[in-house]
Amino acid sequence: MNLLWVVLLPLIGTLVPLLTERFGRNACAFSVAILPAWSLILVFMYAGNIFDGEAVRQTIDWIPAIGLDLSFRLDGLSLLFLLLILGIGLLVILYARYYLSSKDSMGQFYAYLMLFMSAMVGIVISNNLIQLWMFWELTSISSFLLISFWSHKSDARKGARMALTVTGAGGLALLAGLLLIANIVDSYDLDTVLASGDLIRSHAAYPVALVLVLLGAFTKSAQFPFHFWLPHAMAAPTPVSAYLHSATMVKAGIFLMARFYPALAGTDLWFIIVSITGLITLLLGAYIALFKHDLKGLLAYSTISHLGLITLLLGLNSDLAAVAAVFHVINHAIFKASLFMAAGIIDHESGSRDMRKLNGLMKYMPYTATLAIVAALSMAGVPLLNGFLSKEMFFAETLNLSMLGSLSWLIPLLATVGAAFSVAYSLRFIHDVFFNGEPIDLPKTPKEPPRYMKVPVEILVALCLLVGIFPAFVVGDLLNVASASLLINGLPTYSLAVWHGLNIPLFMSILAMVGGITIYYNRRHLFQFQSQFDEPDAKHIFEGVIQRVVKASEYIIDLLENGSLQRYIFLLLLFTLTMAAVPLFNLTQNAGSRPQIPIDAVTITGAVLMILSAIATVVWHRRRFLALIFLSVVGLVVSLAFAHFSAPDLALTQLSVEIVTIILLLLALFFLPQSTLKESSNRRLSGDLFVAGMIGCVIGTICYAMLTTPLNTISDFFLANSKTGGGGTNVVNVILVDFRGFDTLGEITVLGIAALGIFKLIAKMRIYMPTRDDKGRAWSNDPHPMMFEMVSQSLLPLALLVSVYIFLRGHNVPGGGFIAGLITAVAIIQQYIAHGVHWIKPRVKVDYQWLIAGGILIATATGLGSWIFDKPFLSTWFDYFNLPWIGEFELASAMLFDLGVYLTVVGAVMLILANLGKLTTSERIVTKEND
Amino acid sequence: MQHLPIYPILLPMLAAIFMLLPPLSNSITRHRVFAVLVMILLVITSAFLLLSSHQHGVQVYVLGGWQPPFGITLVADRLSTMMVLLTSVLGLCAQLYACAGDDKDGMFFHPLFMFQIMGINGAFLTGDVFNLFVFFEVLLIASYALLIHGGGKQKTKANVHYVILNLVGSSIFLFALGILYGTIGSLNIEDMANKVPLLGEHEQALAKTGGLLLLVVFGLKAAMLPLHFWLPKTYAAASAPVAALFAIMTKVGIYSILRVHTTIFGEDAGALASIVIPWLWPLGLLTIVMGAIGVLASPSLRLTSANLVVVSVGTLIVAIAMEREAATSAALYYMIHSTLVTGALFLIADLVSKQRGKAEDRYVIARQMPHAKVIGIAFFIAALVVIGMPPLSGFVGKILILQAAQGVTEMVWVWPVVLISSLVCLVAISRAGTTIFWRSAGEATGDVPIPPLKLIAVALLLCTSPLLVVFGSAVTDYTDLAASQLHDRTPLIESIIEGGDE
Amino acid sequence: MEAMYAFCVGVLTTCGFFLVLRGRTFTVVIGLTLLSYAVNLFLFASGRLKLDGAAVLGQSAEYSDPLPQALVLTAIVIGFAMTAFVVILAMRSRADQGNDHVDGQIPEQLTNLSASDKRNG
Repeated sequence: MNLLWVVLLPLIGTLVPLLTERFGRNACAFSVAILPAWSLILVFMYAGNIFDGEAVRQTIDWIPAIGLDLSFRLDGLSLLFLLLILGIGLLVILYARYYLSSKDSMGQFYAYLMLFMSAMVGIVISNNLIQLWMFWELTSISSFLLISFWSHKSDARKGARMALTVTGAGGLALLAGLLLIANIVDSYDLDTVLASGDLIRSHAAYPVALVLVLLGAFTKSAQFPFHFWLPHAMAAPTPVSAYLHSATMVKAGIFLMARFYPALAGTDLWFIIVSITGLITLLLGAYIALFKHDLKGLLAYSTISHLGLITLLLGLNSDLAAVAAVFHVINHAIFKASLFMAAGIIDHESGSRDMRKLNGLMKYMPYTATLAIVAALSMAGVPLLNGFLSKEMFFAETLNLSMLGSLSWLIPLLATVGAAFSVAYSLRFIHDVFFNGEPIDLPKTPKEPPRYMKVPVEILVALCLLVGIFPAFVVGDLLNVASASLLINGLPTYSLAVWHGLNIPLFMSILAMVGGITIYYNRRHLFQFQSQFDEPDAKHIFEGVIQRVVKASEYIIDLLENGSLQRYIFLLLLFTLTMAAVPLFNLTQNAGSRPQIPIDAVTITGAVLMILSAIATVVWHRRRFLALIFLSVVGLVVSLAFAHFSAPDLALTQLSVEIVTIILLLLALFFLPQSTLKESSNRRLSGDLFVAGMIGCVIGTICYAMLTTPLNTISDFFLANSKTGGGGTNVVNVILVDFRGFDTLGEITVLGIAALGIFKLIAKMRIYMPTRDDKGRAWSNDPHPMMFEMVSQSLLPLALLVSVYIFLRGHNVPGGGFIAGLITAVAIIQQYIAHGVHWIKPRVKVDYQWLIAGGILIATATGLGSWIFDKPFLSTWFDYFNLPWIGEFELASAMLFDLGVYLTVVGAVMLILANLGKLTTSERIVTKEND
Repeated sequence: MQHLPIYPILLPMLAAIFMLLPPLSNSITRHRVFAVLVMILLVITSAFLLLSSHQHGVQVYVLGGWQPPFGITLVADRLSTMMVLLTSVLGLCAQLYACAGDDKDGMFFHPLFMFQIMGINGAFLTGDVFNLFVFFEVLLIASYALLIHGGGKQKTKANVHYVILNLVGSSIFLFALGILYGTIGSLNIEDMANKVPLLGEHEQALAKTGGLLLLVVFGLKAAMLPLHFWLPKTYAAASAPVAALFAIMTKVGIYSILRVHTTIFGEDAGALASIVIPWLWPLGLLTIVMGAIGVLASPSLRLTSANLVVVSVGTLIVAIAMEREAATSAALYYMIHSTLVTGALFLIADLVSKQRGKAEDRYVIARQMPHAKVIGIAFFIAALVVIGMPPLSGFVGKILILQAAQGVTEMVWVWPVVLISSLVCLVAISRAGTTIFWRSAGEATGDVPIPPLKLIAVALLLCTSPLLVVFGSAVTDYTDLAASQLHDRTPLIESIIEGGDE
Repeated sequence: MEAMYAFCVGVLTTCGFFLVLRGRTFTVVIGLTLLSYAVNLFLFASGRLKLDGAAVLGQSAEYSDPLPQALVLTAIVIGFAMTAFVVILAMRSRADQGNDHVDGQIPEQLTNLSASDKRNG
């Protein structure tokens, strides 16, 4: 048994209600209570060591990379908060059992509640910064779920979102702050951080870190100006409010400040930020609370104000103030929890929380009323109740302040004013609700709640009295150890007595009492005064801001992602231009040292022809047929260029690809507009021309620089090993099928996939079939001229023969599977063109899809074959044989590979063209699947 | 076992081929069974490959027995094997999801899916720039075909943009390769890395152009600003399993930047050392900003997820720009995490839109979903992960990146951008979730059952996130080693040379 | 010779990119084809230019660099596959969207110009 269980038990408890929900409400509530109770017992077991002034620690390594360990530390402060969290948590569980209606999913509620509880427990016993942050965020998440428990209500959703956003933002700031601190002390270990306070305070990054951490604390503890989320969190079921906004969630921020007090406090910056924020929050909360007609609203703002009080105390940089702060944490938790529960009971039994309707409930629920009144008096700080003691200490502290120099008297004054207002709203709570005439049209007549719904309130109110009367006896030790963990250089001397004799603090209290009563009796004027300002609804403001941000970003997105491909490409080219051009600035001279080839007439003519037709393609690009013709001219010249610069294979391939491409484009053009009008503005045209031109220049320059630079490449190896290692004299082909056969395998795969994709495209295509071209002339009504049929039919065997020849010679002289495949394909296509689909269909019974797959399979299998000889994939084998009459001939695995290429090419091209051609006929593909 | 490195490429390839041939062709049921079996096998193989390269060092597979730098090599180091495993896992989940019915909306789904996987794995494993180009084309053409799967105006339009942009990208790729070969005279990445420092001044300028042009290509793949505009609408248009698989595609771009630019133009590239870094900084940060703005502006869950992809890409680019081992390691962790969760988000978006009738996954008020609870839980988890809320993998990734940025001069930019962007995600996603799941106009009418397979797929993807946290130390240790392997190249060179001398 | 070659490549690149920037699918396809010519020539150039030095052993005194040729061959084939796909995609887009604009719809200011489109369907 160890510390881990303290947090683990409630965490496991998250699952319990989901399982036990079906056994009825009592069973569910009871089963939920077991684990936290157990964990509370564990805490008590440790209490002994804590009171002896030692801290219990335990560490388990988790993710060292981010400095995250499962590391726990139980000292006085943690003990105090654990008692609050688990103790009040148990009471809330009991209370919620009666509060929740049968419509609410109890299991879900308890699950969220337990998740939240474990998160809080995790925060207070963390000994590792990252782990602390982890639980910190968990509280944000679980509180989001709790606040939005009635998710069908808009308020609940909005309130929850607001809380999540504000606390989430704070959480991120906190993370940054913690990382900074960890960087300063070079450890994520809380002990180390707390031990090296001086180092931190003296470090340059201290102000930043401090502000970030405080942002986390202030957002969580609803300090001005982040206080606005808390009142809207009241949309949650009251048990949640009683828990989150008295003892836990909002106290997490206080805890954070208290926890890091040894490391961060003690500087002027700390004093300025923390105390001033606290003071403002204290006054603001107390003032607004008075004008709230909603019971829970009043309590919410009073919570804000009391949190402000604690923050102020922590900000004063004095040991006694710190003690007072810790003491008020206890007291506030006790009386505020009981008040929220009382409010919940009133709401539950009378159906309203509006103090303008709720009047004279004393008659209807005397018992509850008494409890509530006692708690409220404690909130007002009436003697013999716990609220009084901590407030006295607070007053005492405000007196011996000199920080503000000659203005120091302001703080006690303002403190008294704040106190007066808290007396006033407490009075309002008591008088309006329980006396002040008769209730005004309540949904139901109020009555006492079920017996056990009152138990939690009774316990808490009893505590108010006990602490108030025998403070030293009840909480003395706890307060000591808790404060001790804030004050590393020992506790100050202070006495927890009810009576300190006649002194200024007592006088201030009396002043506050009187002031409060006067304020309350003259509230009418105040209300009138207040009513002239329309009360801003933080929810609407917040939502409005978010809305505006969203609108703005929508505007930006519409502006940039306007769905115009032309713009996207333009950007792409612009970026390319920048990337390509920038380095050329340090290219001193274009021409390299490589000797250049003299120009000859033939090449010039070729070049000119190419350039002219390229330009012509651009100029007439809107008259598409013309453009296509010029395009094919360019293609031809390109293949000639390849031939000229000693790349026969390329020339052949380029040529055959050229033919197929043009056939394809012609077919496509049949279905597309033959021509379009000018539609780009001259501005766009010039812009495009500029970018394209610039890129052209850059590429040209690079090309020239490259061509004129000498280079020794890895190619000599290929020339050397082509025959000996690859068994072929045509080095290019050997590279394709052997040295870099893997590329070729990928290449034919691409071809195959493309064919499949195109099939997919065509299959679902329902395209309009033009009967006449755009000049209105009807297409020829004789699609298969006699002559053509005869010629092409007689050509077929020849073409096939040629392709076989090209295929076989490929390994040693220009040729190869790819070219052969294209030739075969073209030959077959010719048959299609000549005879039409109907004629071919019965004659060619090949499933092109199988052809493709088979081709790739053969190629791959060839590669796999080498595994038999324990060689890596695609290792080739070849040998020479001597047959009578035929003479010596070579057999090479590369040939098999090339066969695969051949089949794939034929299959792919046919699958594409044949199906495309079919579109023009009644033979459109119909598929089994709805594609 | 000696052939292990090539399995992740051959396995899906052969699977695709067999599915095109009888007896498997023309039967969707046989396709499904076969495909799932193959994918499971692939996951196992990838895991084996990862382990063996993790334990026995880099595995270099020399295709055709032609030693580097002459032949093509596959390099299975910690980084590439990690990416391969990631791909297979994501692929398996996406495919399971598809098997619940989406694969019937078009032809050849499973073969194309397999080819896609093959292409991605090839791109990760190859150690040769031109072969990288080839595999880019394989995965691209497969993605073109997969993108129109299901048909419809939107898909066609998105596809036109996607295809044309990428074709331009491919030609730029070839320009770049031409320059690099024309100056360095080799295609093997390691060999190039060794030769780059020896280049003359004249060649250097050219090679630099080549390197930067490669950044354009990879940036386009990775959807880096200003080349990211195509992504949101494309991913939103794709059918759910395809979109889920595409979650890894952007990471291919990121990986290539890591691989090529850290290896060839890395610290020890002499005059050409880290040429892309000055560009990566601003572009990465701006990508995050644009992504975050996109997340805020998204009108539907699909678009939100797509924009979240952009955010993750930006974050990764920033991490790469830091150019230090810690950052790379952080990037790798973040890569695993973000890939899986965005994949899951696309699937969840699809579940939602199937449930909400006409409203689909748009953020408008609609009838209560019949199965709001189960989908809601899935969404909630995914949201926590993607926002970076503890206790799920998101926060580890975020903290890793923030920590890595400590001490870098650009930290003053990185921290605010990363933190604020995750706040923006928090706001946007909480709004989205509350609208979709809670703001309902009336009770659900009729029941739209969710195929169990789909739920299994989503659950599988989501459960990776807690695992990434629970076994966080193991994962981060691995990514640390992978990062150091990438940055300190000597072991890799040795293992290549030890194969290389002949 | 080298200068002229480079010039041609530049021109082809310019024309290609310019056409790719147009608004109609077919024109873009033509642009891509031109671009692929430019790319192939450029990639081929990375092996430098050589007259009558075909890389067929025993046929010429000294050989041109065979590797870029092999690369270009691969590039040509892949380019062909891509072109084929994008062409059909263009048709599909025309079929689905009713026009052949790359964005699937003709921008407002152009709708009045798109008469020819109407005539062809």
